[in-house]
Amino acid sequence: MSLEAKVWALLNEALIVYRDSPRATGWLRNQLARFGEPVRIAVAGSQRIGKSTVVNALIGEEFTAGSGFTWYRDGVRARATAFTPSGPQEVPVVRREGRPHVEIGMWDQVDRLIVDWPTRSLRDATIIDTPPTATSDQVYREADAVLYLMRHLQDVDLRYLQAAHENPIARVSPINTVVLLAKADEIGAGRIDALSSTKQIARRYRREVRVEPLCQNVIAVAGLIAVAARTMKPEEFTALTALAALPRTELEDHLLSVDRFVGNDFPVALAPSVRQGLLERYGIFGVRLTATLIRQGFDTQVKLVTQLVQRSGLGELRDSIAQYFTDRREVLKARSALLALEVVLRAEPKPAARKIVMDLERIVSSAHDVRELRLLAALQGGRTRLPAALEPEASRLVGGLGTATQARLGLEYEADETEQRYLIADLLARWREQAANPVLDQDQRRAATVVVRSCEGMLSGLG
Amino acid sequence: MAVPWLDVLDETIGACTTLNRPDLAERLREKRARQLDPKLRVLVIGEAKQGKSQLVNALVNAPVCAVGDDITTTVPTFVQHAETPSAALVRSSAARRAITDTPTERVPVAIDQVAKEVSAGHSGEVVRAEVGIPRALLTSGLVLIDTPGVGDLRSAHTTSTFTALLQADAVLLVSDATNELTSTELELLKQVMTSCPNVTVVLTKTDICPQWRRVLEANQAQLARAGVSAKVFAVSSALRLRAAQTGDKSLNVESGFPDLLACVQRDIVAAADQLARRVVAVSAASAIQQLVAPLRQELTVQNTKRTEDTIGALHEAQRRVDELRRRSARWQTVLADEMADLVSDIEFDLRDRTRKILREVDKTFDDADPAKGWDEFERWLEDNLTEAGTKNFAWLLDRSEWVAEKVAKSFPVYREDLLPGSIFPEDVLERISTIERPNIEKFTISQKLFTGLRGSYGGVLMFGLVTSLAGMPLINVVSLGAGALFGGKSIKDEGDARLKRRQAAAKNAAQRHVDDFFIKFSKDCRDAARHVQVSLRNHFSTLAEELQETLLESARSARRAVQDDATKRERRTLEVRQELDKLVELYKKVQVLGGSQVALGITA
Repeated sequence: MSLEAKVWALLNEALIVYRDSPRATGWLRNQLARFGEPVRIAVAGSQRIGKSTVVNALIGEEFTAGSGFTWYRDGVRARATAFTPSGPQEVPVVRREGRPHVEIGMWDQVDRLIVDWPTRSLRDATIIDTPPTATSDQVYREADAVLYLMRHLQDVDLRYLQAAHENPIARVSPINTVVLLAKADEIGAGRIDALSSTKQIARRYRREVRVEPLCQNVIAVAGLIAVAARTMKPEEFTALTALAALPRTELEDHLLSVDRFVGNDFPVALAPSVRQGLLERYGIFGVRLTATLIRQGFDTQVKLVTQLVQRSGLGELRDSIAQYFTDRREVLKARSALLALEVVLRAEPKPAARKIVMDLERIVSSAHDVRELRLLAALQGGRTRLPAALEPEASRLVGGLGTATQARLGLEYEADETEQRYLIADLLARWREQAANPVLDQDQRRAATVVVRSCEGMLSGLG
Repeated sequence: MAVPWLDVLDETIGACTTLNRPDLAERLREKRARQLDPKLRVLVIGEAKQGKSQLVNALVNAPVCAVGDDITTTVPTFVQHAETPSAALVRSSAARRAITDTPTERVPVAIDQVAKEVSAGHSGEVVRAEVGIPRALLTSGLVLIDTPGVGDLRSAHTTSTFTALLQADAVLLVSDATNELTSTELELLKQVMTSCPNVTVVLTKTDICPQWRRVLEANQAQLARAGVSAKVFAVSSALRLRAAQTGDKSLNVESGFPDLLACVQRDIVAAADQLARRVVAVSAASAIQQLVAPLRQELTVQNTKRTEDTIGALHEAQRRVDELRRRSARWQTVLADEMADLVSDIEFDLRDRTRKILREVDKTFDDADPAKGWDEFERWLEDNLTEAGTKNFAWLLDRSEWVAEKVAKSFPVYREDLLPGSIFPEDVLERISTIERPNIEKFTISQKLFTGLRGSYGGVLMFGLVTSLAGMPLINVVSLGAGALFGGKSIKDEGDARLKRRQAAAKNAAQRHVDDFFIKFSKDCRDAARHVQVSLRNHFSTLAEELQETLLESARSARRAVQDDATKRERRTLEVRQELDKLVELYKKVQVLGGSQVALGITA
């Protein structure tokens, strides 16, 4: 029985046990309903760190930030529901100057805003923009997975993440957090290599002992550039090309500071308002970067946008979200449900629930999917190293390229069941050997054991 | 470098020498040396990655502080004036040392290497880096201190920053323009204000933030709301460094640095010069007063020309010398008593504070299992001990000043420079070694099994024997049941016992650590107190000796007046008058210098 099915059964069992408590029933029903939805990904972090910017970069639109929790989910048509103290209200979503705008209007106290927005980016995930005042408990309860934004690792950040993992269930399965080093474009005072430098810092944090047990990955992201790239307008591109046409030294002089860039004696015929606009959308670093890129030969809008998306870290972020969150929807959903169930069991303990408590513990301690995810993150983050030939194979087998058997085995054609069985048996034998290989250290042998378990899972899945 | 007070001081020293008072000359010469080398410490602090090191680099136009994208500065860097560029790393060879020891060893390094060495991060031994470069800004004795970010994870950084804060004359709080002042930064600002009120806020990185003017306004509003009267300057280090490379004057103006430098010059350096002038004026004035006293005595005696009066004056002088000796004994007793009191009070206070911490530890480990959360506990203990130490030490400083005042009160005469300028040793707070982790024994499965078997053995045997009387075999249902029961109980007992042992071990370790801390820190405090006492004693006994010398000189000149014959006497009177005129002239200059109105009480 898969993890999802086990948790589903357990939730239903709990519903029966708690049928006389309306609060618990309501709570559990909510969880059951959540099971079928896309993964909820919350974007959290301190004030002015760029949460809304990252949300916009992921959606590919420039929404204006609200004050409370704002949900963005896929819908048939654009519409929004505002939850105000006097009940939910439908509010219109309109486009103004090319930017979608939610007309909250007279509702000044909105606890939660749910925006339905038809786009492919939201098909697999619902994205939640959180207010900076939300505690880690609130955020983690609302969402299945969290993107946590910070500049540098500071005590506050660490405390936030630690608080989220205080619960025993959360602690054994720290698989739902990815840390983003936001504002990568402001590092190193906007030097042209700021992004690669931030990527190095991210790599160091990935192995940092205090961060490692709290998240799956650390990624450097320049949110401003990512949004600008995804929403680049043709006239902006023309302006940027005009800038890049200037001699390098002359342009550099005018890109020294923001004041110079919007100043009066500018060599290119660009209205100050256009330059101001560029600055607001791209930042001084973005202008420097795009000018350099255009000069390097990324001189069509498509080429430039692709390059910017990749450089801004948005590509890597999307990969991580796919690998750790949306591909693993079932595990994350099950995990959220288990955490929610534990809340009920703790809040309303009763003798009849004894069996559910035990089942819960068993599922948590034996959930193989959680271990797979942890191993995958460890392999990709370089925390666990396997001998050269084994590493890509291990990563693939635990679901690095997709969780279907076909993808795990790395088959490029439709193999029939017998062939698959034969292949898996071979893999199983080899990895069993590795799991007992005295040359490997303990960490590596443990990794091999997880791979063995994945192979066994596939084999039993074939029936 | 033309310093007005230097000429006046030199003239006064000359007068002291010609008037046969080498002791006064010596004292003034010391003052002169000290005033010529005033260290003006300007601390550059702020949260991590705000551009502190880059600001220092831009201020002196040289890459002397480590700058990097990741957390870079790990130890403070002292940037001061030197004729030729030089740099050194200061290491402490051992973690534990008393303050009186010659503290550290200095390892010279190439100036272009020092930034790299600081960022290399073997911060365990390197205490600070010192850089000397020739810059006009620094010639007035300004020392720029670049510090590691506050609120950084590695808390050792923060501690060293606060130690440096105790010695700072002015503070530049750095915050970048990408963000308004955060609540933690405001908190930091307020904390800094309590120990050093001369704070300037510097908004950096204006070159990359389109919104910096808005942030500047918001910051000013925020400071006004918080009731903090600190100036805010917006600068761009990148522009300034670039301007230095290309020699572009207008770019330099754009960087905002001229304003900041003017402020530093005006508020910090000029204020220090004011202070120096005042100190010099006071000590020169007191020296001149002492020079004048014997001359006046001589004049009055020569004017009266009567032997009885002269003898009376001699007697009077003698009496005053005796009086002075008697009173000296009194201030010495006061000093000794007060310092003894102070040491015992300080020690009691420290003992009290550590005891409170220990009690807390005991309470915690009565319930908690040290196997879990030891790291957290360690951090807690460290924080609390540091806080206790800092508070205790601050109290020591307060009390010492109070003692100085009290001794000054019981001193026979009042003078402007009665209170010593500084009596505190530098570099006083040191970190202590880390707490050692107690040996935490775990209760493993095999141990549990063994304990369980041992317990169940007794149960099986006991009940087996009883039931065998009833004709059952030794191993039967009842005895096995009892065995299981006994086994379970002994496992639980053993587990409890082990927890108790762990808790005891943890308490012991904490106790030992706190004791270590107490011994080390109270030794430091005692040393500091002794240092204070010695410097106070030296200060006051020099003063006493001077007074005595003045009185004796008066008596001597009175005697001379009696012995001299008439013609000689007249010549001498003339000489004395001239000398007095000169001194009065000098005294006027001193008064202008200090702006003070200390009446000399003489006319030529």
